[in-house]
Amino acid sequence: MVGPSSTTVESEPRPSTTPRSYFWPIAVLILAFLGGWPLFVPNQFLFTIGTFIVLNAIGATSLHLIIRTGHISLGHAAFMGVGAYCCVLAVTKFGLSPPLGLIIGMAGSGLLALLIGPVVLRLTGKYFVLVTFLLGEVIRMVFVEWISVTGGSNGISGVPPLHPLLASPMATYYVCLAASLFCVGLCARILSSEVGRTIDSVREAENVAECSGVPVIRLKVSIFVIACALVGLQGGLLAFFLRYIDPTSFSMVESLNLVVMNVIGGMYSLAGPLIGTIFIVALPELLRGYVELQRVFFGIILIVVMATFPGGMVDLFTRVRKIMASRNAGAVG
Amino acid sequence: MFSTTILGQVFLNGLSLSAIYVLIALGFTLLFGIMKVVNFAHGAFAMSGGYALYYLYGVLGWPYLPAILLSALFVATGALVLEFLVFRWFYQKMFQSMIGLLGLNIAMVFASVILFDVYERSIPPALDGVLQFGELVIPTDRLLVVAIAAVVLLVFWVFMSFSRYGLAMRAAAQDIEIAETQGIRTRQIYRLAFFIAIFMAALAGGIYAQIYALSPFMGDRPLTVAFIVVILGGMGSIPGAALGGVILGFGESFLSTFYGSAASSFVSFGVVIALLIVRPWGLLGTPE
Repeated sequence: MVGPSSTTVESEPRPSTTPRSYFWPIAVLILAFLGGWPLFVPNQFLFTIGTFIVLNAIGATSLHLIIRTGHISLGHAAFMGVGAYCCVLAVTKFGLSPPLGLIIGMAGSGLLALLIGPVVLRLTGKYFVLVTFLLGEVIRMVFVEWISVTGGSNGISGVPPLHPLLASPMATYYVCLAASLFCVGLCARILSSEVGRTIDSVREAENVAECSGVPVIRLKVSIFVIACALVGLQGGLLAFFLRYIDPTSFSMVESLNLVVMNVIGGMYSLAGPLIGTIFIVALPELLRGYVELQRVFFGIILIVVMATFPGGMVDLFTRVRKIMASRNAGAVG
Repeated sequence: MFSTTILGQVFLNGLSLSAIYVLIALGFTLLFGIMKVVNFAHGAFAMSGGYALYYLYGVLGWPYLPAILLSALFVATGALVLEFLVFRWFYQKMFQSMIGLLGLNIAMVFASVILFDVYERSIPPALDGVLQFGELVIPTDRLLVVAIAAVVLLVFWVFMSFSRYGLAMRAAAQDIEIAETQGIRTRQIYRLAFFIAIFMAALAGGIYAQIYALSPFMGDRPLTVAFIVVILGGMGSIPGAALGGVILGFGESFLSTFYGSAASSFVSFGVVIALLIVRPWGLLGTPE
């Protein structure tokens, strides 16, 4: 079993948000920062990084939804690609308006997930990882080989901006931020609802959940479809942001990156993929000068984190907080 | 189009592909079967084998046979350091090993970009003669590769089947805890299995780099191959890896000759996906 339940030292799922007393102030602070910094530091390079971070947050949190059901998908970027290609083709070939294209992209990747999901979600653990890895490769190969439609390895260039008024980097950042907040909010809402509790029960004990009347496969498929549709939205936005798409943006490396974001951050709370996204996207961009050396360090960091904190950075924070708490208790007592 | 000459070439091509694939996949499945480690750095070790062969044979000009065996030996010995630093943290932790060793893969690939450079190099062929049987042209180079691989695989088979250490390794692969209670020193077995796996990967990497090209990023293809072969044969099953390697090698040679390499990739991926859905434990694996 690869299921997250068997992978951490303490497999008990923690509450998905920080304690209530801190939650709202922190959320407001983060929101104010995300919305406010472009007004004070109007820097093209930072806009690009910021846009990448908020876009990847969509992919990471939607993958987080799938991971919470106990399945780790190694083909998530391929679904992003399906969304991106559907969206771009709808806009460039059929002349639809870009916002409609985004919806078609989401529908495309969601539909593919609906077709594949009922078959592959019956597999568990490592077999699901492997089958999604292969599916991702097959989808990428379709992008490369179906030259008449997808343009092959060269991809499709000349994608129009989302809206003529929204072509500036700052506007793009805000559009992507809004989409990202929508997706993260949706995931948070799902996870904190009754459905979220059901998801946790399916991951921890599938048979028990099924016996208590949870329609396991139907639940997994619907979560899978939602997650893939959301990542399709990321694909569409990415296409409008970069103004071109090619198969390398949706390869296995990207899928792995999304998994790594979840794992580095922590797989058992929604904060994990968000922290992981910032870490994985921002760090390489900010250390651009020494590309090779910083990739080496990045690899070493992955090894060290996995060897010492298998629960990811969230795990590290909770441990530190526990130590602080016990120290405080000691001081009082 | 199915003339005997072409079929003969396809067969020979399939033979040398199978040899490489089996070597790579055997190491991969050994690590998975015994230590439950998904070695995402397997391609990087193959790449190291390629560079070792390049320096020993291409630059220093050693005779071919000692060069290829010693290059694999060097890589495997050097890898024991990595075993101590990295791998031992991930034994029996399948999921963490995936991500951690992915990190190792990135670190190794980019370290070799710094050490060497990104440009492709080529290793001179070992022999440049050809054998001719009627219309069938056989480069002796390929025959040598197949022979080396066959000998190494034979030694491996004999070792696994008849030596006490081989027996201990098979026991550890079946059930690690029971093996431990029988007095098998698992740390030692782990190190031995690791050494053998990396030796075979490095050897295959050397051969692969010689047939195709050598670059820091050449490990991706062997890694994908290892995945496919191991799924095909059954994860952790040693005979399964051998069978899977042969099927993939011959299938790929046949399909890519007659229908193009894209068709061959689609068919091999499609077959493996179908197999995973119907029979996830592979051809020769055991269901959980």
